[in-house]
Amino acid sequence: MNRRLTPVLRYARLEVRRTLRDAGYVITSVAVPLAMYLLFTNLGAGDDAADKADYARYAMIGMAAYGALGAALGIGTGVAEDKGRGWLRQLRVTPLTPLQVVAGRALTASVVVLPALVTVLGAGAAVNGVRLAAWQWVAVAGLLWVGTVPFTLLGLGNGYALSAQATGVVSMASMMGLSVIGGLWIPPQVFPRWLAAVSRWTPTRRFGDLGWSVLDHRGPGLGTVVVLGGWLLVFAGYAVVAYRRGARTA
Amino acid sequence: MTTMAPAVRFTAVHKRFGAVEAVAGVDLEIARGETLALLGRNGAGKSTTISLLLGLDQPDGGRVELFGADPARAVRAGQVGAMLQDGHPIPRVTVRELVAFVAATYPHPMATGEALALAGIEELAARRVDRLSGGQAQRLRFALAVAGNPWLIVLDEPTAALDVEARRAFWHSMRAYAARGNTVLFSTHYLEEADENADRILVLDRGRTVADGSGEQIKRAVGGTLVSFDLAGRGTEGLRSLPGVTGVEVRGDRALLRTGDSDATVVALAAAGRVRRLEVTPARLEDAFLSLTAPLAAEDRDRTGQCTADVTGNATANTTANTTANVIARGAVR
Repeated sequence: MNRRLTPVLRYARLEVRRTLRDAGYVITSVAVPLAMYLLFTNLGAGDDAADKADYARYAMIGMAAYGALGAALGIGTGVAEDKGRGWLRQLRVTPLTPLQVVAGRALTASVVVLPALVTVLGAGAAVNGVRLAAWQWVAVAGLLWVGTVPFTLLGLGNGYALSAQATGVVSMASMMGLSVIGGLWIPPQVFPRWLAAVSRWTPTRRFGDLGWSVLDHRGPGLGTVVVLGGWLLVFAGYAVVAYRRGARTA
Repeated sequence: MTTMAPAVRFTAVHKRFGAVEAVAGVDLEIARGETLALLGRNGAGKSTTISLLLGLDQPDGGRVELFGADPARAVRAGQVGAMLQDGHPIPRVTVRELVAFVAATYPHPMATGEALALAGIEELAARRVDRLSGGQAQRLRFALAVAGNPWLIVLDEPTAALDVEARRAFWHSMRAYAARGNTVLFSTHYLEEADENADRILVLDRGRTVADGSGEQIKRAVGGTLVSFDLAGRGTEGLRSLPGVTGVEVRGDRALLRTGDSDATVVALAAAGRVRRLEVTPARLEDAFLSLTAPLAAEDRDRTGQCTADVTGNATANTTANTTANVIARGAVR
């Protein structure tokens, strides 16, 4: 295997183990989205079977995205903690380069978002009877997986820029705020007009749209790709600036 | 050629943080295979020196080289391992997982089991890092420093917060690693540790090298012998000019004369009739250290003997256990 790549994979493996053993991660990114999904879709969802099935499909995407969002942002909390405990500094006196450390973290994020996605999608199919064509399942999972990249970058930026405590607060606030405004919890169709207008520009709305657009038997539209791509650039820029400041002095 | 270059070379290295000159022109060379103790009080510049050495900080002036190259390059090449003061390992992974990971970042690591054995934590291999005691975590950090089998290990105050037993075990591990032909640099503010575990001691004070040599050499350089006696109410006038005397201190009712020629000093004291409870003792490393790094500059110290006596007295009290042996070994003259 490539000599520069192997340490990154090993680092990611270590971090994935550490994350999967974290009760906070399991609760925030897997258990809570799953519980919310099952509650929202089975309590007080109305009697109309067609409405209920529709909401089960819609909310399945929203809650899967919500869980994955938490897992991706959570990467930053880990980085900030490691900065605080001097571990990033310890890594700097190993042959691992700071860039390999970041790459390992990003790779970790790409793995730990999967349980969040798969759990809610699985509950949709197994519990709520959501039926999709095979290609739709693959497309939904694949697009949502790729769609976590901007949020991983936001998380990394927070982790390098802020203290562990501040990162926790900012991540939680971003997760809640962006989820609500982005329509991951409640369909934006019921938003007041001004909020619906704001919602269209949020990364989370477009993130959800990656999955919702597949339910409608079409791919994500140009608007979604452009807006999400724009956020990707913004968060990437933030992560690079934060990393340059944070990693050098860590 | 880099193959013949010393493990560490500092050339006129300076580092300033705001108004504080943390490292003020240090020249230092550590040969391969040598064990060097960096000795100094808190704030003497030890940690800054280590940060510069590891490439974690850049010097404002001068040059730092490890094995003839830039520190960052030596670190990248896996020639260096370090135990930093605040490098706390990550939680929720096991000791074995963490040591194996760090080892694998190096080009020629030792087997994980070997690193654990060297650090004396084989039986903790399966334990989670967050469930280790303070002393166990310290040994894990040592295992992380040596896991990559580097040529040089750097240990920043490695025994801080360890009890006596853990400390002994730690130095045993350190010496075992050094005995393999590796270079070791450790910092400490414990003199006994420096004296017992290093080939060579570098004393830092306010960012400067104030002594460099073996424990013996440093003791000798600072003024061989202490002659002490009871003042019995009389003053210290005239003592400073006695033959051989280089320094005068007062502790309570006792005068302590530092002398380069104790015979001449004792004869002169006897002639003056000042021999009550007179003792001649070889200077201890503590005395040498204190006289090198006392908070007051040397010239001030001689003028304000009483002040120094307080400082020295306090410091001596802290090392009472260690001084007992020295006291027993004293040759008393009455």
